[in-house]
Amino acid sequence: MAKLSLRNISKRFGDTQVIHDFSADVDNGEFLVLLGASGSGKSTLLRIIAGLTDASAGDVIFDNLRVNRQSPRERDVAFVFQSYALYPHLTVRENIAFPLALDKFKAWHHIPGVSAIARRIFGSSKDIAEQVAGVSSMLELDDYANRKPGGLSGGQRQRVALARALIRNPSMFLLDEPLSNLDAKLRAELRGEIVRLHKLTGKTFVYVTHDQVEAMTMATQIVILHNGIVQQHATPQEIYTRPANTYVARFIGSPPMNLMTAAVADGYATLGGLRLPAPEGLVLRTGTVTLGLRPEHLTVSADVGRPGLAGTVRRIEDLGADTLIGVQPDPALDLKLWELNQDDLIWIRQTGQTRLMAGDQCTVSLEARMASYFDSDTGVNLASSDQISDAGMLPLRG
Amino acid sequence: MTTKEAPPVLRTAAHKRRLKAPGTRNFSKPVRYLMLAALVLFSGFPLYWMLNTALSQDSELYGQAQGWWPHWERLADLGDVIGSVPIFKWLTNSMVIAGGTTLLSLIFAVLAGYALSRFKFHGKGAAGFLLFATQMLPEALLVVPIYALFASLGLLNGMGGLILANVAFTMPVSVWIIKGAIDAIPYEIEEAAAVDGCPRVTILSLVLTPLILPSIAAAAVINFFDGWNEFLLAKTFIAERDLWPASVGLASFIGQYLTSLNSVMAAALLFTLPALVFFLLVQRRIVSGLTAGSVKG
Repeated sequence: MAKLSLRNISKRFGDTQVIHDFSADVDNGEFLVLLGASGSGKSTLLRIIAGLTDASAGDVIFDNLRVNRQSPRERDVAFVFQSYALYPHLTVRENIAFPLALDKFKAWHHIPGVSAIARRIFGSSKDIAEQVAGVSSMLELDDYANRKPGGLSGGQRQRVALARALIRNPSMFLLDEPLSNLDAKLRAELRGEIVRLHKLTGKTFVYVTHDQVEAMTMATQIVILHNGIVQQHATPQEIYTRPANTYVARFIGSPPMNLMTAAVADGYATLGGLRLPAPEGLVLRTGTVTLGLRPEHLTVSADVGRPGLAGTVRRIEDLGADTLIGVQPDPALDLKLWELNQDDLIWIRQTGQTRLMAGDQCTVSLEARMASYFDSDTGVNLASSDQISDAGMLPLRG
Repeated sequence: MTTKEAPPVLRTAAHKRRLKAPGTRNFSKPVRYLMLAALVLFSGFPLYWMLNTALSQDSELYGQAQGWWPHWERLADLGDVIGSVPIFKWLTNSMVIAGGTTLLSLIFAVLAGYALSRFKFHGKGAAGFLLFATQMLPEALLVVPIYALFASLGLLNGMGGLILANVAFTMPVSVWIIKGAIDAIPYEIEEAAAVDGCPRVTILSLVLTPLILPSIAAAAVINFFDGWNEFLLAKTFIAERDLWPASVGLASFIGQYLTSLNSVMAAALLFTLPALVFFLLVQRRIVSGLTAGSVKG
């Protein structure tokens, strides 16, 4: 087991700076997910941890030991690739046994013919065969043991890749988008499998993905990266309820958080004719802020007279268990939606089905205590849900 | 309930049609066999004619038209003629030279091909081009300076020197074949091996070499035949008759005043056979698609 510390890691490729001064600590047994859109530097960071890429600056520290100059093997990490990277000329069994066999015949490495024979002998030794059988049955690979990777499906290949990582009993598992080549059903299945392996081994896992569902369901810690800069490092719950900035707020959640411009004065935030009690952090502030609310913290009703934001239903997306309703706010409210809101609509998630139809007039009610407030210039979080003392929503007087 | 789906039978037929490579035509079995027979006849005829010539009467060869069928009764005479020269010694020499050339050339080519494919270094492009440039110079042009060089190094009149010279001529092609093959191997496989604990040399010998075996076999065929057929350098460098490779030995049948065509053909036939066997041995290896399934794609 290893505690991982990254200190001021930077990486440049020519003139492009991919990672800016990244620092993080990962405790033993954590499941850290590096989450970000493509090009955010998350895979590069993982490769730096593995020792496959050198950092331009900064230190990688395993258990208080600086490992910058150590090879991947010396760091005792296992790496699972997005493209599986199995050895095509070896059977599933030989693929899994490869790291163990390699340990045993170091002297024979460099003689092509002899090494092939030695590998075969060691690969089928009782000790290794037992370990391979154990890992194979854990990942349900027994039936394919003698097949070559070419004869396996994507899901099976990724299981083999996981088995090859597992058999070495490394101090840390590094996984680079291991599920992104699989279909949705297999992804869900293998997601469960990886979480199970994490619990079983109790080892540190660092997992790279662009899929927020994977991140939210698997991680104990999430780091969100954008253009090589850390946006937030927190637990999944924290990231969801208290996003550090508007980027995180928009990146996590589907549909993302609704962001609207609100005016703050005298301890109240005013939003399209609604007056909400401002949280403590904003009481002394005057000016405009960006108010964020998750779709599930809004409700919509056909009752036009209710206090709330008046609007017109524009889109209805029935997901079965939930329904997403896109409402265009009444222009008379002069409500400014944040520029990137999908189709300039306020999105509401409602459990079950709705009777509303596109074109209906409606009222959107806000669960104000769940709102997050961001600086309208920098996008930084000023206050989030549980910092609000007075829960509720008041209509603007007059 | 109505359905607009096509019946399953039709879909299967369409599916089968899709599986075929576009632009291929289906010939019936007899036609295919007929075409194959024609090909075999076309490529096998020169070999047959060598045999036929070797077993022809002198009078036939120099006088009337040569017959279509070999005179098997001449086999014993021919054995005597062939027996008068150390043909098996020459063939062994050829085998040593061709085998040595192949082995040495492949070792260098795998190392150089890997470096050209995977490493970044100054002058990489120039190095690759220079390898090609060596192919532009004719052997005849280089034979004199190489002779002078080998004379000063004491490499004349020995198979070692000849192997070295041959490797210099054959290796560049192998380097490019192997570089191309390594280019096609996904880099992740090497990284996976590195994580599993392979040093770079081991990655090359244990992981990459088996994957590029088809290309190595192709390069081996080229190198082997270059070494086997090489004449000019061998004729120039090796004076001692016992050290001749078969190519030089074969040429010695051609006399100044008299050339016994049937002896030449008999020796040529013997000269062809080992090379044929070598090709049959490695051709099994020249298959593609070994990397299928290693990574997605």
